[in-house]
Amino acid sequence: MNAPAAAVRRTVLQLPDGFRSAEAALWFASLEEQRGKLLKAVDGIGAAELEWQPAPGMNTIGMLLAHVAVAEAHIVDVAFARLPKSRVLEVIGLGPDDDGMPLPEDAAPPEHFTGKDLAYFADLLSRARAHARTVIAPLTDDDLVREVERPRQPDGSTRVFDPRWMLYHLVEHEAGHHAQILLLRHIYRKRGVMGP
Amino acid sequence: MNHPDQILPVPDGYRTRDAALFAASLDDQSALLAADLEGISADELGWQPAPGMNTIGMLLAHIAIVEVFWTQVGLEGRPQDVKTPLGIGIDDDGLPIKEGAAPPANLAGRDLAFYLDLFARARAYFKRVARALSEEDLEVVRARMRRDGSTSTSHQVRWVLYHQLEHFSGHYGQILLLRHQYRAARAAVR
Repeated sequence: MNAPAAAVRRTVLQLPDGFRSAEAALWFASLEEQRGKLLKAVDGIGAAELEWQPAPGMNTIGMLLAHVAVAEAHIVDVAFARLPKSRVLEVIGLGPDDDGMPLPEDAAPPEHFTGKDLAYFADLLSRARAHARTVIAPLTDDDLVREVERPRQPDGSTRVFDPRWMLYHLVEHEAGHHAQILLLRHIYRKRGVMGP
Repeated sequence: MNHPDQILPVPDGYRTRDAALFAASLDDQSALLAADLEGISADELGWQPAPGMNTIGMLLAHIAIVEVFWTQVGLEGRPQDVKTPLGIGIDDDGLPIKEGAAPPANLAGRDLAFYLDLFARARAYFKRVARALSEEDLEVVRARMRRDGSTSTSHQVRWVLYHQLEHFSGHYGQILLLRHQYRAARAAVR
């Protein structure tokens, strides 16, 4: 008797239509792949785990999800739309500092995330991504290498970047926090048997 | 004060833009990670938050092993032979670690230089292969049987390039979190 055929899992990076730049489409496809993994990683998570803090001064999963949305909305506006000030609040309904990050040493998570469920954070992420698509799709290859110099910051610093670096950064930023969320979920399951 | 410029130059010597972009991205990640790890001790590299959890050293070894593994299996379409370019075998990172287990003994006492050398070897291997990829190669979907033999998987070469980046970045993020935990654990015992 023949052995049952093994299931075949096919993994392809599908380049989206509607982008003027093939390179921008490549990065956007990477972002979409990453978003699928992020949402799968938190599938079924409850509000208690979303707001659980491993130790004072450390991020919660809810904070990280909000941060991914805030950062995306901010970067899209300053790096690709080239606005002097981003429209984070207008785009996702949460202000640029409302993710609570960076969290001061020994601080608790922001109170406004208390009791928020996954649907709340998924909505933030969805709004940020829709905005990103709208702004990134019309970019040309030339746009990706036109450097952006940000206005001098209150601390006197200046920042220069190219939109190509920021597209790559969006991918690595979400991937990094996605994996931190996986680790926090592992720690959550082990809480009570480990420090700090 | 100025921040370092955040520019992603596309390197020469690649047949495709996509491979060049992912190679540049990986180099940027390596430079950022090396800067974040500057001065880390062997004690912190081998510190385990709890039995059954990964150390920073395990994750660093894992990043290098996986970079070579996916280059061989996903880009070249050949069986893995991680040991030849890296000097350590595919299981020597100790991942996935068993429930309640300690870190692998072969990584005990290893310093940062050991891991940075693994990174350099892995990246040189990756670049040699990535430079030769053509546009047609990027569309190739390679089938392979998982190590447990139960499921056949297939991966597009372009996806493998993207996966190299997201895999590196993901564990980089976890390493930053582990460093935070290490500092908190040390503060708690003082």
